[in-house]
Amino acid sequence: MSTDTKKPDIRDIETFLYDEASLLDRPDLDKWIEMYTDDGTYWMPAIEDQEDPLNHISIYYDDRVLMEIRRRNFVHPRAASKDYKVRCSHIISNVRIESITDDELLVTSNFQCVMYYNNKQTLYAGKYTHKLVAVNGGFKIRHKRVDLINCDGVLGTIIIYI
Amino acid sequence: MSYNDTDIAALITPTMIHRRVYTDPLVFDLEMQRIWGKAWIFIGHESQVPKPGDYTTQTIGRTPVVMVRDKQNDVHVLYNRCGHKGAKLVDKSCGTVGGGFRCCYHGWTYRLDGKLLGVPHMAGYEGTGFDKEDPQYSMQRLERYDTHRGFVFASMDADAPDLRTWLGGAGDVLDNLCDRSPEGEVEVAGGILRYEHDCNWKMFLENLNDTMHPMIVHRSVVDAANSYMATLPANSPRRDEAEIIPPFGASYENFEATGITGFRYGHHYDGGKSSIHADYTVDPDYEAVMLKAYGKDRTQEILTFNTHNTLYYPSLTIKSAVQNIRIVRPLAVDKCVVESWSFRLKGAPDSMLQRTILYSRLINSNGSMVGPDDLTAYFRMQQGLQSQANDWVEMHRNYGSDEDHGDRLTNVGTSDLDMRSQYAAWRHYMLGEAA
Repeated sequence: MSTDTKKPDIRDIETFLYDEASLLDRPDLDKWIEMYTDDGTYWMPAIEDQEDPLNHISIYYDDRVLMEIRRRNFVHPRAASKDYKVRCSHIISNVRIESITDDELLVTSNFQCVMYYNNKQTLYAGKYTHKLVAVNGGFKIRHKRVDLINCDGVLGTIIIYI
Repeated sequence: MSYNDTDIAALITPTMIHRRVYTDPLVFDLEMQRIWGKAWIFIGHESQVPKPGDYTTQTIGRTPVVMVRDKQNDVHVLYNRCGHKGAKLVDKSCGTVGGGFRCCYHGWTYRLDGKLLGVPHMAGYEGTGFDKEDPQYSMQRLERYDTHRGFVFASMDADAPDLRTWLGGAGDVLDNLCDRSPEGEVEVAGGILRYEHDCNWKMFLENLNDTMHPMIVHRSVVDAANSYMATLPANSPRRDEAEIIPPFGASYENFEATGITGFRYGHHYDGGKSSIHADYTVDPDYEAVMLKAYGKDRTQEILTFNTHNTLYYPSLTIKSAVQNIRIVRPLAVDKCVVESWSFRLKGAPDSMLQRTILYSRLINSNGSMVGPDDLTAYFRMQQGLQSQANDWVEMHRNYGSDEDHGDRLTNVGTSDLDMRSQYAAWRHYMLGEAA
């Protein structure tokens, strides 16, 4: 651990997580993607404690390229699955700084996301793991991991990032 | 109402399907008995149960079954039901039971081949007529089970044709999937996704070789991928996504040229000489191990047999060129689960499994930009077919021009040959008509 890294204020981190969640609440993918570093990734594993996104199936595993494709797909007028309004309400709690290294903060939290899509309201819950880097006095997300408590269950369409 | 055979026969014409085939719970019940209760159903792969006592569970229609390896190394498919009160013996998707099964309720124990071993406190049964050795108290074996290249199928029909006969020429694609391994063997790897579909199970199957939909349904993801890729500098590293997604927007002419081949028992595939998977870059390390194993001509033959989707009606669909499969599990007339599985080509570099996983994530996942658009069409059909304004769904495309080659029919890739093939099988199972 670097000795000169000042321990960040947990409230600044919480605020950043709330800001990210509020962009997904709407959802506004154009702004949401800007919260990620150029090498940023978003991962929703398909099993508990999944270690490998490449050799094991995941529900989502997007790098910047796939985020950019998804952002364009999400607003395409001919995407039938996107014909329906998506509105979410994310609640984040139990925010903890797990570790601090030279250039990275590892932050975990619990979340609940109620998603309204195609006349159905679905409750998703689980744990977030964020790897954050300090950029220009704020943060960017280098990696976000979303462990759903029912990741290995039978799931319907998950139309947007949680 | 109830259905006699005349009523059932009236639901299907050579070019039309009555909407009740998709919407009536009574038809669904009959399908579970007559199609799922008779056909060979994909149960799993031997690689999932490497050691004695290893098991996986599945359902055939509504019937719970368990695939298990015994101490002689034989794989059995047993009804997952205790001989006593009927409780399922195992209730996880996979696991190991060690030396035998033990019921969670009254502790009856069974050998790995299903034979009843022990009943606690036998004294109370003395003189009652209960005979522990009577086979009816054992776990029952499925009427038929067999394997092909490690793929385990079972049928609840004692009179079913043998598995190889049933697979027919469509078995070539299953063989091609395995032959793409330099060792000629595959194993299940990389986990299973389970995706709930609010539609009749047949809608998923009928979409597999429906090549008139991709350019409509998947245009949005193709546009999104192409428009982003166009912003990248010309010397950007190659991305597998750029090879996997755009072919979903291939033209009618392209899909027409790939062709559809249909077989007895409802099996069919599109492609053969070419498919939307045909232009994938071949990893040089993979090519090297294939050339070493098979030589140039055979390698070429294996890698240019390019089918897209192959259906083994009614349960199993495979993509041999990408080494993944999907399995449909009907739950109700308007609900099913589609499972996506991946296979590792034994002896091939890791990049091959990674491409399989990427493909499943991009195309089949609950969070993908392809599967959810297909599903949207399915559930809209499920809802639209409640309409009494028009009782019929049509399947005329290229009717009357299917070419008969003896063991198979062929037609252009945009034809409804796949539909005709499935409904010939539907009538075979539902009405006993010749396959």
